[in-house]
Amino acid sequence: MHAPVVVRNLRKIFYDEGRGEVKAVDSVSFECHEGEVFGLLGANGAGKTTTLRMLSTILTPTSGTATIMGHDVVSSAQGVRKNLGFYSATTALYPRLTTRETIDFFARINQYPADLVEQRVEYLIDRFGLAKYADARIEKLSSGMKQKVSVARTIAHNPSILIFDEPTVGLDVLNALDVQETISELRSEGKTIIFSTHIMSEAQRLCDRIAIIHGGHILACDTLSGLRDTTQQHYLEDIFVLYVKAGQETV
Amino acid sequence: MNRSVLRLLYVHEMKMLLRARRTVVMAVVLPAVIMPLMLYGQKYSAGRRVRLLSATTYRYAITGPLADRVRGLINQTRKNLNDSPDKESERLKQFKFVEINVANVRESLANGEIHLYLETMTGEEADKLPPKNESGSRRSNGSRSGTATKRIEGVPLFTVVYRADRDASDNAHDQMLALLRMARQQDSQSSLIEHGFPGDPKQLFSVQDSSVATHGQVTGSLVGRFITLFLVMMMFTGGAVASMDIISGEKERGTLETLLTTAAGRSEIVIAKQLAITSVGLVITLIQGLNFLLYIKLRVIALPKDFDLQLPTGMALTLLVLFIPLAATIASILLMISTYAKSYKESQMYFFPVYIVSLIPSLAAVMPGISLRSVIAFVPLANVSVAAREIMMGRPDVLMILVTLGVMVSTAAYLMRASARMLTREDLIIPAHVEAAEFLGGPRLFQKRVLRWFALMWVVTFAVATNVPALASFQRQLIFNEIVVMLGAVLLMLWTYRLNPIEALSLKRVKPAVWLAIVFSIPSGYLTALGVFRIVNVIIPAPQQLLERFSEDLIPKSMPAWQLLLYIAVLPAICEELAFRGILLSGLRRKLRPAALVVGIGLIFGLFHVTLYRIAPTAALGMILTAIALMTGSVFPGMLLHAGNNALGVLAGDWFSPEMLLWSHYAAAAAIFALSLWIIYRNRTPLPTR
Ligand SMILES: Nc1ncnc2c1ncn2[C@@H]1O[C@H](COP(=O)(O)OP(=O)(O)O)[C@@H](O)[C@H]1O
Ligand SMILES: [Mg+2]
Repeated sequence: MHAPVVVRNLRKIFYDEGRGEVKAVDSVSFECHEGEVFGLLGANGAGKTTTLRMLSTILTPTSGTATIMGHDVVSSAQGVRKNLGFYSATTALYPRLTTRETIDFFARINQYPADLVEQRVEYLIDRFGLAKYADARIEKLSSGMKQKVSVARTIAHNPSILIFDEPTVGLDVLNALDVQETISELRSEGKTIIFSTHIMSEAQRLCDRIAIIHGGHILACDTLSGLRDTTQQHYLEDIFVLYVKAGQETV
Repeated sequence: MNRSVLRLLYVHEMKMLLRARRTVVMAVVLPAVIMPLMLYGQKYSAGRRVRLLSATTYRYAITGPLADRVRGLINQTRKNLNDSPDKESERLKQFKFVEINVANVRESLANGEIHLYLETMTGEEADKLPPKNESGSRRSNGSRSGTATKRIEGVPLFTVVYRADRDASDNAHDQMLALLRMARQQDSQSSLIEHGFPGDPKQLFSVQDSSVATHGQVTGSLVGRFITLFLVMMMFTGGAVASMDIISGEKERGTLETLLTTAAGRSEIVIAKQLAITSVGLVITLIQGLNFLLYIKLRVIALPKDFDLQLPTGMALTLLVLFIPLAATIASILLMISTYAKSYKESQMYFFPVYIVSLIPSLAAVMPGISLRSVIAFVPLANVSVAAREIMMGRPDVLMILVTLGVMVSTAAYLMRASARMLTREDLIIPAHVEAAEFLGGPRLFQKRVLRWFALMWVVTFAVATNVPALASFQRQLIFNEIVVMLGAVLLMLWTYRLNPIEALSLKRVKPAVWLAIVFSIPSGYLTALGVFRIVNVIIPAPQQLLERFSEDLIPKSMPAWQLLLYIAVLPAICEELAFRGILLSGLRRKLRPAALVVGIGLIFGLFHVTLYRIAPTAALGMILTAIALMTGSVFPGMLLHAGNNALGVLAGDWFSPEMLLWSHYAAAAAIFALSLWIIYRNRTPLPTR
């Protein structure tokens, strides 16, 4: 049995008029194990979003391969998306749908068994405490509520792999904590989760394993204690800085 | 293709559209109310005009030596109106005229005191007037109305002087003229009797007009002219709001990215969006159909009696069937605009020029004298426009309607595929991504830019060459087109994109067998083309004088044969082959499959030879030449065939006429031509394509 997520030498090159050739992601390889939260820790522009967009088949890799539950992101994109929930600060909701319609739509479009959809929708509404707003249009909801609906639509079809790309960006502290809590819960339900962030404390609290990404390269990938052992540093900040500096020297 | 996913997405898109007030207003409310509003407005203003004009008492004055005679005539004729029951008299009776005395008729006319005056002249006076230029004098000099018929010398002249720029004056003039004509008729009759001739009114003739068209046909021709234009405008405005919401809006809000991460395939997403926008177009069409039913058939608004539309159900359905691919075509165009634009604002910016350009072909039905049985049947949008007019006039041309349908369905299918492909382009979904070629330049960029170069060359060929007087002569124009534009652009492209000339222009040697086949293909191909032309001429006859004029235009009679051959055969063969089968083919061939290359380059080649009747044959020649270049991997065989074909075109006319040949001769020529192509195919050393 393969690991649920396998990434091999993934590369993505953009051409930017101002900067020329941008190697957004350069030979990235990693694997995620079943039921873990895999953290992608990196500063802005490190290549996190690009990597995760390639995993979710929005972007096509320049080279390299990646598989999700055995489906190749290029040749079996639809199989990948069926098994995947993708959440990011840029994946918005339809303002003119109600909460219930939103969850229903995303469950069906991701081919959740039709006869179970209604049950699933009620379950999620209940789980995220959305009952009061279930029939209100999304455009009328507060940002905290929208946040919850967004998470609910991400897992509407109960996928086994979840990708959260900087989910707490732009949220207030309470909402951010809410999201973190939800991610922990989902892990305990056996989901495999890829979580990207530039916030050390979040990574430290949530992730079973952490990959430090910088300039499109993965500089290190281990459990927190493993990283501590290799670097002889305690704080994740220090570990991060150490790797980034070393990375810059080798480049 | 997953049908249940498609259905789900389509319902989803429609729900989004129905919940946006803007789309509902533009796609449902506006189209629904615009027709009754227009009809009401028309009725109101027509009614008002009639009331206003009949309520007016027209004041006039009479001047000149024969004033009394005219006065008597007018009074007599107006009295007689009551006795004669015909339509014209009925109409004239409703208008009230009163003669008033004024000091200066010109001044009074100018300040509106009178609506017109009658200037009378004796025969001698009238004979002294300078002869005036009949055409255009009626409206252009404003105050003096020309007499429509030729005056016989010595006959008195009455002139109705009025102001065409004033509604009331213009109207009064019409009525006065009618009255005077009637007076003249009665006058000549009585003077005949006076002079002892038998005054039988039946021997004098009067003129009357009578249209043999039914009210339905007249209205049909009126409505038919504008129906497509009207629909295209509605579909564009309604559809644009929908497509911008569905694509640009989704991009801007970020929901497109969400949708792209779901298990729905991209093709289903695109098709659902296309169907949604097409539905908007069809809803608009149906609303107009319903409007016709309500207002013209059921007469919910009382319209003039003669406003009538005969449209049998079968014809109405035919129209609807034609409008479906029209809606799909417009939907795809709108989808492409919205996909290409990075934001809502940007798509609004692109919308307007595309809208204007698309309206032009739908104006075809408004232009007089265009029949569907012509090249127009192959021009998308224009063909629907003309077909709709012919259907609404009750003169459907079944064969050409089928051609129109075929052309429209293919256009819609092609555009749908193209727009679907656009939505899979990363740089359009995720902005700020510039394609590799753009950045690197060189041969890769050339492939993206080659069509723009040819568009520019086309513009230069027609806009510049036909408007610069220095290029008006036959030789100069050819030298400009072939050497400056074609060859010049080829060299410029080679230089700009650092291309290898041998590769880019396919300057390769070919096998001797190919040369032999080309030599055979020249006369046989020429005769085959003649045969095809004669067959086509049976189906779609080309106007004879157009053909004749064309050949006169092209070939100056005085030129010696060797010069003719140089200008018409050698020069175009070299320059055009280097341009079309050399650089254009190499720019496009890695992006398209061979069949698409043959058709596409053939059509572009045709477009450079612009008269409508030349496009089709030149495009056919272009397709064959492209196929030969692809098969032989070289431009040279095409050059020989091109030169040979053009040379025959110039010289063969002197030797024989097509009527000398039997159909069997043409069949034999076609067989030899096919055989030569087969030989070329068997000896192929093809260019790599997609
Ligand atoms: N569509 C794009 N076009 C051009 N450059 C891009 C594009 N997307 C990302 N980049 C560049 O690629 C690099 C990585 O970006 P990204 O993956 O968004 O980083 P992160 O999510 O870690 O902040 C950045 O330098 C960014 O500017
Ligand atoms: Mg990011």
